[in-house]
Amino acid sequence: MQRAKDTFYIAVRDRIASLNLARTVLLRGILRPGVLVEENELAVESWPNDAFRLRWTALSIDVDDEMPLAALRCEIVYATAGDSGNGGMNRGRQMAAMDAELAAAVGQSPQNAVKMDYAAASGPASLKTKIFWGEVIFGPLVLEGEQISRTATVDIFSYQEAGEL
Amino acid sequence: MSKSTRTAAGFRRAADAMLRGSAARSVMLRISASAIPADPTEQLGLAVPQFQDIELAPVVFRTAAARLAESKANQRELIVSATAVEALTGLHGFASARALFASAFGVLIDDVLLTITGVTELEAGGAIYAYRIELREAIAEAV
Repeated sequence: MQRAKDTFYIAVRDRIASLNLARTVLLRGILRPGVLVEENELAVESWPNDAFRLRWTALSIDVDDEMPLAALRCEIVYATAGDSGNGGMNRGRQMAAMDAELAAAVGQSPQNAVKMDYAAASGPASLKTKIFWGEVIFGPLVLEGEQISRTATVDIFSYQEAGEL
Repeated sequence: MSKSTRTAAGFRRAADAMLRGSAARSVMLRISASAIPADPTEQLGLAVPQFQDIELAPVVFRTAAARLAESKANQRELIVSATAVEALTGLHGFASARALFASAFGVLIDDVLLTITGVTELEAGGAIYAYRIELREAIAEAV
């Protein structure tokens, strides 16, 4: 499952970066594409706005087939308070832009990627199968003071190859 | 030096003296090293960043303010001298005290790492004389 999670993150990160180079996040002093996996970062009380945060939740494994099929649910959380320069009055537009970027990144064809092993000693290595995913489902907007946020979900599927955890 | 500047400096000296005279102690602020640019291993949780402990003193650790959080982890407070924080901010090349605390992973007190949940500036006479750092015990430490 970990390889599927890593592969999906890298796919979404690269697609978001190609759609909007300005979508970045400053984490531990480094500016990087504005996509992160919460469980891979230091635990913090609050996350930066205007970036996509991936959170892995549900998991099910169908072992009936020759190759077990894992279904992983990914919640993608993002929030914005708009630009402080205009009093945050563009936060709705910022949210709409993030909605569009996420829809384009996840819905962009092909909705699959070759599964990669990023932990291989010799560097990232391609595996035999691909991961594939469904459409993004957008949750309702949540209003918290000057900040608005949304949680979208995507289901990712991955065949478990021999020896894969 | 204007009167207001003298007053502000006086408040800070008084606050520092009060902190030193209030069973002040030192604690360690744990900050993580900068991430490695374009390194996917850190983004994937495969590589662990380097940590550095820097001394914060004088501070007053307010155990009396402990209360039970919803998560059942105790919350505590630390009052830190603004003079000490500003010296550290400059020494370690941070743009501001806010940036220093934002990069901190936690505060090490008697070998227990507490998570920073909030930082408030304490101001008097137009000058920040101390910072109140709100801390939470790690959930694993809570009994």
